Amino acid sequence: MALLEFKGITKTYRGKRALNGVDLEIANDTLTVICGPPQSGKSVLLRLLVGLEAPDGGEITLDGEPLTATAAGARPIGYVPQSFALFPHLTVRTNIAYPLRLAKVGHDEVERRLGQVAELLNIGHLLDHTPDQLSGGEKQRTAVARGLMKDATLFVLDDPLVGLDFKLRERLMEDLREMRRTLGIAFVYVTGDPVEALTMADDLVVLDAGRVVEHSDVLSLYHEPYNLRTAELIGFPACNLLAAEPARGQCHTALFAFEVDGTDSGALPARMSVALRPEDVRLGERDGTLRATGTVRLVENLGAECVVYLAVDDVDLTTTVRVDEGRVPTEGDRIDFTVDPDSLIAFDADSGRRIGRGRRAAHA
Amino acid sequence: MPDIRLDGITKRFGDFTAVKDLNVTFEENTVTCLLGPSGCGKTTLMRMIAGLETPTEGRVRFGERDVTALAPRQRNIGMVFQYPVMYPTLTVEENILLPLRHDRTVDQSERRRRLAEVLEVLQMEDMAGATIGQLDAGSRQRVAVGRAVARYCDIILFDEPTTNVEVNAKLQLIRAFKEVARRLRQTIIYVTHDQTEAMTLADHIALMRDGEIVQHAPPPELYRQCRTEFGGWFIGNPGMNFYRTELHADRTNVRLPFLAREIPVPEGARGDLTVGIRPEHVRLHDSDHGGLAAAEVISRSITIGGQYLVKLAVDDQIIRAKVPSSVGRRLGGRVYLECPDWAVTVFSGGVRLETGTAAAEQSVSSR
Repeated sequence: MALLEFKGITKTYRGKRALNGVDLEIANDTLTVICGPPQSGKSVLLRLLVGLEAPDGGEITLDGEPLTATAAGARPIGYVPQSFALFPHLTVRTNIAYPLRLAKVGHDEVERRLGQVAELLNIGHLLDHTPDQLSGGEKQRTAVARGLMKDATLFVLDDPLVGLDFKLRERLMEDLREMRRTLGIAFVYVTGDPVEALTMADDLVVLDAGRVVEHSDVLSLYHEPYNLRTAELIGFPACNLLAAEPARGQCHTALFAFEVDGTDSGALPARMSVALRPEDVRLGERDGTLRATGTVRLVENLGAECVVYLAVDDVDLTTTVRVDEGRVPTEGDRIDFTVDPDSLIAFDADSGRRIGRGRRAAHA
Repeated sequence: MPDIRLDGITKRFGDFTAVKDLNVTFEENTVTCLLGPSGCGKTTLMRMIAGLETPTEGRVRFGERDVTALAPRQRNIGMVFQYPVMYPTLTVEENILLPLRHDRTVDQSERRRRLAEVLEVLQMEDMAGATIGQLDAGSRQRVAVGRAVARYCDIILFDEPTTNVEVNAKLQLIRAFKEVARRLRQTIIYVTHDQTEAMTLADHIALMRDGEIVQHAPPPELYRQCRTEFGGWFIGNPGMNFYRTELHADRTNVRLPFLAREIPVPEGARGDLTVGIRPEHVRLHDSDHGGLAAAEVISRSITIGGQYLVKLAVDDQIIRAKVPSSVGRRLGGRVYLECPDWAVTVFSGGVRLETGTAAAEQSVSSR
């Protein structure tokens, strides 16, 4: 049984639907990331979960028990809000103890828990400081500690790393994953950053326009997206999407035509969108079934890898190259490339439904 | 446009020294990033260039002109802040033209010409009539850039302008900066903590730590030939794997247990050493084709361009490897590690030893 379940959740603000019937089951002892573009409803979903707001319709259950009627303070859920929301005038100790004081937990029990989480997060030496004396990482650890104080079955983090130093984020992502494993409880983690989502997630939920688009383990979701929006949103640099239409049983893009597995010509919809990951464009290769030539518009050298932006007639194509493998192109270069048909995934452009992968050509 | 010359610049706040005796020139017509973690002094340094802070010691010069005592408005600089101040009811066009309105040296036709140029460079032609309130954070930032650029200042300063911008908008903004530097040739100083941003945007990066510039170099050089251990960690996504070891007397090799072999160290090295290896230079194999160290895969995640970031355990040492998607997908359980000699950097006292540099240069030029 799922630890946490959302059933038909709706929420409307001033006539605008923020959540449009969310059905979602979240597994225990797993880090589930909810990722979506701005306004997709991800923060709203968390606010309903922790009890800051009530849904208009639908039900949330935790361990099979309905949550909807339970007050925020009484839910067994630890919460780290966006940008931490620490009380600036209170010490770290008082900040951390706050949720338990609110729940009228006895002094000895508060001290016991405080000792535990302070040790876990290595902030024992900071307990008498105020937030303005802390570094970004220390503030984050304090906010996490406060979230952990409650005897929670679930831990909820709302974009906890937004605005922090890049290198600090790198370390905190690792620390949070490690900490979750140590605690052995479920985390629900919200972010709008696809790289952060891919780095953090065991399971990944793609949310768009107030609905769950797709939900699966993170590696499958990346390699086998079943919805156009998943392909579009999850990945960095963003996936190329090529407009396509059917002709003579094949899927025709402006660059090349290919057969789609498991379909015949009648089954192809009139408007398609073909997903091509940047890493699947093989620059500098000419021996392949699908090939074309482009002009290099811009090269972004990140050190270990380059992002190369190509123009192929009217089509813009983003590609990546590992710097240690092959030549790094320069702006203005004409460059050949190939694509394996089975790295292409065709979607119905209107419904977003997956049609199938390109079929690898039979050897002649 | 002039260069920016800092001559013995120090800034103290009470007992705290934010910037320590910097002597450096930021070249004209280029983008220089001041890069480093929070508290490294990058923002203080930029504020001294802008005239918002006065150095405790030293001089700031734009070309030959000493501006140390000049107020910000006398320096002919443009600034774009993290949270740009803008007039929400005015249109994009009106906001960009605002600073030119009272400038008598710019006539009406010149204003129109600059506006058209700026809108084109920022790819905002179709938004010219939109009010600021209708734009997302990224587009708003582009307007702020446009406003600074349209004045044709000698120098433009940016303070982490992409911090509060969503990922895709951020990319658009970064591209807009590149166009500004390339087409309008203004001297740009840009403060950021985001190394990816710095790598893609800058002609030169001044990497800062504790009030000092630890290295000032073009991005590829900073990546390939980092001078310090700090640089090896900071530049890179993620940074280097480090292994601390000791060189025994009369030895010229150190043993790297996680590679199951020895590597030669530069002459003159002694005592405590740190060995650094970038995750992207660790090669993983399914089988041992001769003397390779075995490792257990602890976890895998997908990162930039579908590459896999693999966390490995070799005995009690944790090693990170960044491998192509095709390799990462099929990994699990036991793997074997390999790393070419040229990819091994040796540090002593936090500073790179020279032989490593020569080896890296050779490997790069031979490719």
